Amino acid sequence: MGIWALRGVTVAIALGVLLVIGTVAYSGYEDYTAVKAELAGGPHQAVGAAVLRGSTETVSINITVPNNGLYPLNVTLTCDYPTPNIVCQRASVDVSPGGQGVLRFTMTVLDISQFEDSGNQVVNGTVAISMAPFVGLTVGTNFGGFVKPGGD
Amino acid sequence: MYGQTITTRKRVTSAIWALVVNIIFWIVIPYYVGMFLTGKVPDSALTVPTFVYEFGIMFIILEVGAAFFQGKAVAVPMISAVALLTVVYVWYATNGGVLGVETSGITLALSFRLMLYVLVLPSIWAAIRAPLSYMVWRRAVKTGVSPTSLVSPAS
Repeated sequence: MGIWALRGVTVAIALGVLLVIGTVAYSGYEDYTAVKAELAGGPHQAVGAAVLRGSTETVSINITVPNNGLYPLNVTLTCDYPTPNIVCQRASVDVSPGGQGVLRFTMTVLDISQFEDSGNQVVNGTVAISMAPFVGLTVGTNFGGFVKPGGD
Repeated sequence: MYGQTITTRKRVTSAIWALVVNIIFWIVIPYYVGMFLTGKVPDSALTVPTFVYEFGIMFIILEVGAAFFQGKAVAVPMISAVALLTVVYVWYATNGGVLGVETSGITLALSFRLMLYVLVLPSIWAAIRAPLSYMVWRRAVKTGVSPTSLVSPAS
């Protein structure tokens, strides 16, 4: 093994690292701009519906998730509400590179009469986005809320 | 490169150069970045952590030593130590590839452990390469084969 062999390994490692960093950065940028465009009113923007049956309200949201990057994308939505009266169905979608998937999120409010008539009921949630296998981003934030029918 | 005749004057010059560059990089820049952050956000905990200076001092000592003893066997462990210290520093600074921040009711967590393995790979290889290069040179001296040869003398 000569010095040139060692240099060859060094160059190969450097090129490999640059390739990974470049593709991850490119994929991150492409995915970010695509998702941002969708949420800002793209052709497949989020569609939501709230249905009230008796005292049970069901909120459904369908979000189209495009993947313009080079790595598989996983988006998972979960919500966290401190009462057993709100049940969130964990929504998750895997999107292969160049494709798009639909994230179907459903939240059920079992006894809506318990909530105050006025104002939004705020629901906190977590959005986990992972660009497999290299990077994962989890955002825990206020999902917004639902308005009790008949409220303000 | 090993085996080259390097004058003491050149060694001292290299060591001084390494000292100046590393002091700027590890002490001066973090100090002014810290002052800038404190000035911008006075009541926040946004400062340059102490470990940057602690690692910086270790980097300065090793880099200056490696520059002074360049081409000699004693420089090999110093070069490897700098590379390994870089791995530890990157791991420590990024909390092992899991970073989290909480502000204004929003929690952000970024996980990039595999990416971190990729990022530290060149440093790990540098730590391995330093003794390998020296061994290649030593064997070349013993066998009389040029160390830049692509073919092993045994083959």
